[in-house]
Amino acid sequence: MMPGVGRIRAILWGLSLTTAALANAQVPAPDSRPPGQRLYGAHCLSCHQADGGGVPNMQPAIAGGTWVQGDGRALALFVMTGGFDSGSRKDSTVGNVMPPFRQLADADLAEILTYIRQKFGGGASPVTAAEVAEARRSLPASP
Amino acid sequence: MRIVCFARVASLALMPALAGMAFGADAVSKNDGLTLPEGFSAVVVQEGQGAGRHLTVAANGDIYLASGNGLSALRDTNGDGKADVVTPFGDVKGTEVRIFKNWLYVSDDVGVYRYPLKKGELVPSGTRETVVSGFPVERQHADKTFALDTKGTLYVNVGAPSNSCQQKDRQEGSLGQNPCPILEKYGGVWVFDGTKLNQTPANGRRFATGIRNAVAIEWNTSQNALFAVIHGRDSLDTLFPALYTAEDNATRQAEEFHQIVDGGNYGWPYSFFDNKLGKRVVTPEYGGDTKKEPEPGKYATPLVAFPAHWAPNDLLFYSGKNFPAKYQDGAFIAFHGSWNRAPEPQAGYKVVFQPMKDGKPNGAYEVFADGFAGEMKDNSPRNAQYRPVGLSVGPDGSLYVSDSQKGRVWRISYGKK
Repeated sequence: MMPGVGRIRAILWGLSLTTAALANAQVPAPDSRPPGQRLYGAHCLSCHQADGGGVPNMQPAIAGGTWVQGDGRALALFVMTGGFDSGSRKDSTVGNVMPPFRQLADADLAEILTYIRQKFGGGASPVTAAEVAEARRSLPASP
Repeated sequence: MRIVCFARVASLALMPALAGMAFGADAVSKNDGLTLPEGFSAVVVQEGQGAGRHLTVAANGDIYLASGNGLSALRDTNGDGKADVVTPFGDVKGTEVRIFKNWLYVSDDVGVYRYPLKKGELVPSGTRETVVSGFPVERQHADKTFALDTKGTLYVNVGAPSNSCQQKDRQEGSLGQNPCPILEKYGGVWVFDGTKLNQTPANGRRFATGIRNAVAIEWNTSQNALFAVIHGRDSLDTLFPALYTAEDNATRQAEEFHQIVDGGNYGWPYSFFDNKLGKRVVTPEYGGDTKKEPEPGKYATPLVAFPAHWAPNDLLFYSGKNFPAKYQDGAFIAFHGSWNRAPEPQAGYKVVFQPMKDGKPNGAYEVFADGFAGEMKDNSPRNAQYRPVGLSVGPDGSLYVSDSQKGRVWRISYGKK
């Protein structure tokens, strides 16, 4: 059934209201950052900082470190395991322990790991979602 | 000839610019680049003892600085404010250093110790004595800062080795341990007889609880009372993203300034003072929904709620003779500066003055000394030029400030050139 003229007017009026509301509400611009950078910002940046340099005595630098330059699957396993259970704690000289990030989806972790390897690991190879999934299979069952 | 003329014209044209540059350079170097209220000036006492922590100035003007590299003793032999003699000593790497009677009290992460201070002696020649030792080795919030009252009672800050007592520290969505077992041995102030030797933590008594980490702890002699500024919790947004945004995390949880009373409870880890709502709320780890309030009266309300993550690392009540009258009995607080505000711009990195009267705030706080951090590339605390960390007053009433990036020490005076 063809919509009546009145209904079309109502729809157009509604559309114009929506447009006005959008313009007035100053909706933030869509996040134009690449997904890896955006996800790093949401989950990693407050501790490891934008430049990957960490915070002295609090959280370690990741930039230029062996983790971001080494094997991608090992890195994925480490990030999903965290500092409590990975054995890294005993060698650490910083205050805070990294929590496990196994709650993140394979694809999101792959984006983050690819981003930090590219930016902080001297352009180390990307990590795929399939590699994260493979690393996840070797994790011990969730406590 | 034409070239000479051109050069003359050029030099004439450049003169105002050069004069401006000279003025600019002078403005930068004045007070070592720090911004201070009118009439105050700063000189660099020394730099180079590494990661400086707290400092104390003796009645004869000798300065003792704690650092991650150990203690050092500083003396200005010609009165220009600059230390001519800088001598590292001892084996204590820690944060606190204070003088009580003829003793230099110092601490590291596991104990409080003292050296005898003999007249005329810059570096203590006597043996280090242990006042309390045996605090558990921790990596988080481990500095055993302390205050001493006029009788030698020792109040030790025993920070909580945890952000918010989650079942898994700093893990997204992990709920709080209830009741929080950490509070049995940490997260409060423990009191000891500071004149007795070889005590263990078991010889102390828990004086106050619910204190995450009070690096800035001070005895106020005019009020005969203990005060502290407490480091608030981190990571509201990354731990509970459904409830808090990054902006919330950067702004809402106050750095709380309290009078610390015997038996007092200051709310950690069950609550925090929310700067946005202007009231105390239950933390998300313990069932908070961003608005839920704890039982009325259960936890103390701060005297002043400072901005989130500024990291209060020292507190001092001014009783010197150099500063104008409005500073008398007021509180200076050294804010070390934030890391957990990222990705929002970092903040803090300054010395703040809080006017006080009869132990209560008397008006709004004001920035006293700023400009420590510099441009701080990449918004990273690592790139801060300086980070204020310790405060002390010299015999002439000047305020001394220490830095943790390079171990710089400034003397800030009023009415001196």
